[in-house]
Amino acid sequence: MDAQEARNFGSMLVAFGYIYPLQDHRRLVIKADASLYRFQTPYFWPTQQWPAEDTDYAIYLAKRNIRKKGILELHEQEQYNRLHKWMNHKWDFIVMQAKEQYRAAKERRKPDRVVFECQERAYWVVHRPPPGTVSAMDYGLDRRVDPNADEAKTPVFYERVMIFTQQSIMRPRVKSSVSIGALVKYCATYSSHDPFLSACLPSNPWQTDDVTNWTLNMPNVETPTKTRVERWTFSFRELLSDPRGRNDFRLFLKKEFSGENLAFWESCEDLKWGTAATMKEKAEQIYKTFLARGAPRWINIDGNTMEITVKGLKHPHRYVLDAAQTHIYMLMKKDSYGRYLKSPVFKETLKKAACPEEHKFTEAQLEHNAKNRKPSPSPIILQQQEQEQKAKMAANVDITQVMSKLSKQAKEAPPPRPAAAAAASST
Amino acid sequence: MGKDECKTMLDALNKVTACYRHLVIALGSTSDSQNLREELKKTRKKAQELAVANRTKLTSLLKDKSISKDDRAEYERLWVLFSSSMELLEVDMKRSLEIGQDFPLKVPTRHLIQTGMTGSTTTVAARAMSVQNMKYEADSNIDTTDLRELRSEISQVSQMMEEMEMKVQVAPWAVEAKQEAGAELKSNMSVGNSSVGVISICEEEPKEEEAGGSRDAGLASICAVAGFFVIVAVAVVLGYLVINM
Repeated sequence: MDAQEARNFGSMLVAFGYIYPLQDHRRLVIKADASLYRFQTPYFWPTQQWPAEDTDYAIYLAKRNIRKKGILELHEQEQYNRLHKWMNHKWDFIVMQAKEQYRAAKERRKPDRVVFECQERAYWVVHRPPPGTVSAMDYGLDRRVDPNADEAKTPVFYERVMIFTQQSIMRPRVKSSVSIGALVKYCATYSSHDPFLSACLPSNPWQTDDVTNWTLNMPNVETPTKTRVERWTFSFRELLSDPRGRNDFRLFLKKEFSGENLAFWESCEDLKWGTAATMKEKAEQIYKTFLARGAPRWINIDGNTMEITVKGLKHPHRYVLDAAQTHIYMLMKKDSYGRYLKSPVFKETLKKAACPEEHKFTEAQLEHNAKNRKPSPSPIILQQQEQEQKAKMAANVDITQVMSKLSKQAKEAPPPRPAAAAAASST
Repeated sequence: MGKDECKTMLDALNKVTACYRHLVIALGSTSDSQNLREELKKTRKKAQELAVANRTKLTSLLKDKSISKDDRAEYERLWVLFSSSMELLEVDMKRSLEIGQDFPLKVPTRHLIQTGMTGSTTTVAARAMSVQNMKYEADSNIDTTDLRELRSEISQVSQMMEEMEMKVQVAPWAVEAKQEAGAELKSNMSVGNSSVGVISICEEEPKEEEAGGSRDAGLASICAVAGFFVIVAVAVVLGYLVINM
């Protein structure tokens, strides 16, 4: 075994907790210098896969609280509060047991007591790693069913296997040259946009703990990044799925006075993904606004689709507007999308797009970033903000559409409407 | 009163559980394994006696339908304490069985882990048994005989716990703890009158592992230096007087 392999093996032993370092107890690696390590007692080995229970951890934290006279480290304090909240019914027991264990440990001689404390601390560094420690025992959440366990070969299991194979025979197949070609094309286009395969500008937040990347790529940011704008040119789907792209497209369509298509498409999405209770009203609203004859925002779909849709709306369900939505989608894709990519709106956005510089952090700065990590705003707040914005936009757009129609009518019959004109000129 | 008796017995069971855990942690390492096995056996037996006594007392108290609501809440709290202690005991007993099997003592070359602990656990066991000194009288093949007994004892304890679950309907999550967060920092808090005596917790702590042993030596040296200066001062004063006379 050469030295590098020996060091890797030693690091594995430390990461699992068979050996623990005496100085720098949080970094579970073997260092190539003369630093000291000690063997862990068999009770604390991970071999027998005894689970590291929360009760034991709570008792350990309570003991540490006694020893440190109330001054725990930050992550320990957080865990302590969390356990106090969730294990409140056992808290009396935990306090009693912690005190008794502390007194029992005091019965031993001083050097043994010190060794005992080191052992316990090393065990919990492995099983409840403090932030920044990489431990081999760190796994995700506990699951009730082990996905790697072999499944029992009962008749039910075999029935499922049979159904699966029958269905896979019946599936329509594509020539591998075609499918592989599509995969290659996808990889070629997206490889420069994938943060795993190419550099993430300005820096990958998961690696450097610096959230500039996320703030620059927020859903409704004023100036999107260049890579984001580039992605909008790949396909119409990309453009629509990015909220900022959709806003840009909406702006463009407003200038062309064909905003009703996008509005209809968005309302159909809303219907498909919305709650079942609101479905009927939503469907009626959509009919009144977009499909009825003489509706304020009438969309242009062919007679066949219109017939099917109106018939379906008598008994509305989630997917009743699917045909019309697909028609409008294809219309936008073949017609408006091409014009959008050549439009001044898009060119303006592309010119103003931000191209952030790459960060070059030193070790000290990285540690500083890691200490200053803050949690992101609660999803409830984000959802409320989204709803407010949607309501604002809905109120805004309706007026402009109506105003544009009225201004067209005003050319034939000209009664002066200064308020309307002022509104139309200001929007 | 039944409650105070219960509390005293629970305190004792708690103490024995803590000491048992401490002893099991030392198993398989370099600290004193022959006596350790015997200590484990004795502590275990004591724990079981206490457990049986506690169980009968608590079941009789909880089965009594004519107690008030506050009393019932208190007994449920004691029940949660008892069952948590028993869970810890059972886990520790199972672990001691496995480790005891992996590290036999009666082989020509013992393979014990060099954990750095060299002292004996006599004092811990004495605390568990509430005696001043431990007497060791076991024969030499304690590890094999002991393990057989241990297996039967583990099955007894598991059975007892199952019976407990069946007979007594107590919802453990509904119990509210009396202690708030950080209660362990206050000294002299126990469930009832502890037979061990009052020991204050907030003593001076060792500063760091490496400088652990030097604190006592430091005190002694400071005393020696102070004494030296006192003697020198006295000698100077006497000399001055002698010269002036």
